Amino acid sequence: MSNVTQSRPRLWLETLLQVLAQWSGGGAAGQPAGARDWGLPTRRSEAWRFTDLRCLTQLDPTRLHTGTAAPHWPEAFRQAPSGQVSPRRLSLQLDGRGHWLSPQGEPPPWPHGLMPLPTGDIAPGQVLRTVIPSGTLLPLGAQLNGVTPGPSLGLQVSGPDPVHLDLAIQAEHAQAWLAPHVLLVLQPGARLCLNWHVAATAQAAVLPMVEARLGLGAQLEEATMAWGCPGAAFLGGSFIHQSPRSVYRRTNATWGWGLSRDEPFVRQSQGQAETHLHGLAVARGQSLLDTHSTVYFDGPAGRLRQRHQALADDRGHSVFNGRVVVPRVAQQTDASQLSRNLLLSTKARIDTKPQLEIVADDVQCTHGATVSCLQADELFYLQSRGIGRDQASRLLQRGFCEEILQRLPQSALLWPSLQSLLETPVPDQP
Amino acid sequence: MTSTETTPFREAPIQPGDLLLSIENLHACVEENEILRGVSLQIRAGEIHALMGRNGSGKSTLSKVVAGHPAYTVTAGSIHYRGQDLLGLAPEDRARSGVFLGFQYPVEIPGVSNLEFLRVSCNARRQHRGQEELDTFAFEDHVRETMAIVQMDPAFLERSVNEGFSGGEKKRNEVLQMALLEPLVAILDETDSGLDIDALRIVANGVKKLALPTTATLLITHYQRLLDAITPDFVHVMAAGRILRTGDKDLAMALEQRGYDWIEEADGSDTLQP
Ligand SMILES: Nc1ncnc2c1ncn2[C@@H]1O[C@H](COP(=O)(O)OP(=O)(O)OP(=O)(O)O)[C@@H](O)[C@H]1O
Ligand SMILES: [Mg+2]
Repeated sequence: MSNVTQSRPRLWLETLLQVLAQWSGGGAAGQPAGARDWGLPTRRSEAWRFTDLRCLTQLDPTRLHTGTAAPHWPEAFRQAPSGQVSPRRLSLQLDGRGHWLSPQGEPPPWPHGLMPLPTGDIAPGQVLRTVIPSGTLLPLGAQLNGVTPGPSLGLQVSGPDPVHLDLAIQAEHAQAWLAPHVLLVLQPGARLCLNWHVAATAQAAVLPMVEARLGLGAQLEEATMAWGCPGAAFLGGSFIHQSPRSVYRRTNATWGWGLSRDEPFVRQSQGQAETHLHGLAVARGQSLLDTHSTVYFDGPAGRLRQRHQALADDRGHSVFNGRVVVPRVAQQTDASQLSRNLLLSTKARIDTKPQLEIVADDVQCTHGATVSCLQADELFYLQSRGIGRDQASRLLQRGFCEEILQRLPQSALLWPSLQSLLETPVPDQP
Repeated sequence: MTSTETTPFREAPIQPGDLLLSIENLHACVEENEILRGVSLQIRAGEIHALMGRNGSGKSTLSKVVAGHPAYTVTAGSIHYRGQDLLGLAPEDRARSGVFLGFQYPVEIPGVSNLEFLRVSCNARRQHRGQEELDTFAFEDHVRETMAIVQMDPAFLERSVNEGFSGGEKKRNEVLQMALLEPLVAILDETDSGLDIDALRIVANGVKKLALPTTATLLITHYQRLLDAITPDFVHVMAAGRILRTGDKDLAMALEQRGYDWIEEADGSDTLQP
C-alpha cells in the first residue's frame, strides 16, 4: 500500500481524515497518530490489482454523516418487545450516533449469557493485534474504521447455551459513513450466533469491523447478509482469534454493492480448532465484489473448510483470494478450500486465486477452483420438462446460490432483502 | 427455436389410432459425426412401441433429437407431432405440448428443490392445456397422490433434483414426472435399467396406468423383462442409426434368445412396419 502517487485519491483521503478528526472534536490536530503514514492502495499493489476504489472515493468527504434508517426487520423479529424475541436472543440496530439500540430505541435488555464487556477488560484493537502479524498494514476497511470516531460495541458471552445476536444496519441516505466496531469475547465453552444484516440503498459506505476472541471450546457462528446498491461501498474487516477446540463458522452472502471488499482474518493461535468459511458473492450490473481471506495456523491439528461461490453476470466482477498459512508448527493441519464460480456473460469477470503458504510437511491441504457457465445438460433437462429457457436459467442460478444460502440460519432467510438476491421468485408462468 | 408466449397449438381431442408422432428419414449428427442415418417411425394413439438395439446404435440420440437436445443437428428428414413440425419448436414447447422424454441418465441439479422443479414444470404443461395452475398447497397434495403410483417417499420432494438419488430412485423420479405431465407421447429411455425386481414391477405398472387409448409410448429397452410386463404392439431394432427391422413382441423374444447378429445379416428384409 505504499504507492501514493495519484493526487486525487490522496487529497480525498486527507480531506476524509480531517473531517473524521473533526467528528471526534479534535480538529485537524486531533488526527490519530500514524494516519498520515498510509494511503489508499492503488492497483499497482498485488492485493488490489483487480479492485478499483473509485466507488469509495466518489463519496464527498465534506458531506459525510452517520445517519442510518430503521432496518426493515422481518415480522418475526418485530413482534417482540424491547428487541428481545426470546430470552436468549437480542436484536439491535445501529443508530445515527453509532450506538446499537433495540428496534424500539431503548438500550438493550441483556439476555442471559450476554453482557457488556467490563471496562478495562480488553480494548478495541487488542484482539486485532493478536490476529495479524505486527508490522503488517491493516486492511483498508479496518484502517478507515479505526480512524472513524465512535463507540464500539463490546460484549462478553458466557455459558454453554447459545445466545443469538442480530445486528442490523440500514443506510438509506446518500453520503452516510457507517463504521461500527464490534468486539466480542467468548468465554471458554460459550456459544454465540451472530447475524448481520447490512443494507445500503443509497450512495454510502459501510465499514464494519469485528474483533472476536474465542476461548477454549467456544463457538461463534457468524452469518452475514450484505446487500448494497450500485453507488454503495462495503469494506469489512474481521479478526478472529481462536483457542484450541473452538469453532468459528462464517457464512456470508454479498450482492448489489458498487464495491465490496471483505477481509476476514482468522488465527488458530495453537491450532486444534475448526474454521468454516462459506461465502457467496453475486456480482451483477457493474458490481465489484472482492473477498480476501487469511487463515493462520499457529499450532497442530487445525481444520479449515472453506468454500467461496461467486456468480458474475452483466459487467459484474468477482475477486477471491484465499490465503492459508501453515508454518512448521502446524503439523496435521487439515485444510480444504474450494472456489466455485459461475460466469454468465462475456463482459463479466472472475478472478480467483488460492494462496497456500505451506511449510509443514505432514498436512492435508487441498484447494480447487472452477469457473463455468450454466451446464447445458442441466438447462436441457429443465427445458425438457416444459420450463422456459430464462426461467430454467434463473432456477439454476438460484440453485447455485442455495448451496451457500442453505447454511444461513432460518432467521436470516426471513429478511425480505434476500428476494433481491434471488431476484423475483420464479413465477409459474413461462 | 425460441420459446413463444402464445401457445403453439391447443390440445384437440385425440381418437385412438390418430397419428401422433411421425418420423421420416431422419438424419442427425453431433459435430461432424452422423449418428442417425435415416430413421423412419410412425406412432399412433393407443400404441406401445419398443425400441431395441445394440449399445451405441443411436436409440438415445433419437430420443434426444425428438426432445430437442441442442447438441444434435438434424441434417435431413422431419419429425411431425400431431401434424405439426416438431423440429421448429424449442424443447420447452415440445414438452408443454405433450412430448415427454424419460432420460436414460437423469440429470442432477444441486440446489434446485425437486418439489419446486416439479411444480413449475407441471404448471407449464397445465397452462398449455388451458388448465388452471396449482398453487403450492394444491400442488403438494397433487404430487403426493401421484407419488403413490410409483411408491415414492415424499421425502424426495425436499431434496435437490436427482441429487444423490440412487439409480433406481432417479428412474422413479422420471416416471413421477411423466405422471405429473400427462404426456401424449412418452419416450422412456431405459427406464427399466438399474431397477430391482420390485421397482421394475412398480415402474411397469405406473407406465401401464399412464398408457391410454389416446396416448402413445415408446419404450427403449435392452431387456425382455419389461416387455413381459408391458406387451408392446411393435418392436423395432435399431442398428447404426437406422431402424433395421420391425416386428411384434415375438421379435423381442427372438432377440433375447439369439442376439442381434442374425438381424444384421438378414438386413431387415422382412420389415413389417404398418
Ligand atoms: N453428444 C455426443 N457427442 C459425441 N458422440 C455422441 C454424442 N451423443 C451420441 N454420440 C455417439 O452416438 C452413438 C449413439 O449413441 P446413443 O447414446 O444414441 O446410443 P444408444 O443406442 O442409446 O446406446 P445405449 O444402449 O448404450 O444407451 C454412440 O457412438 C455415441 O458415442
Ligand atoms: Mg442410450
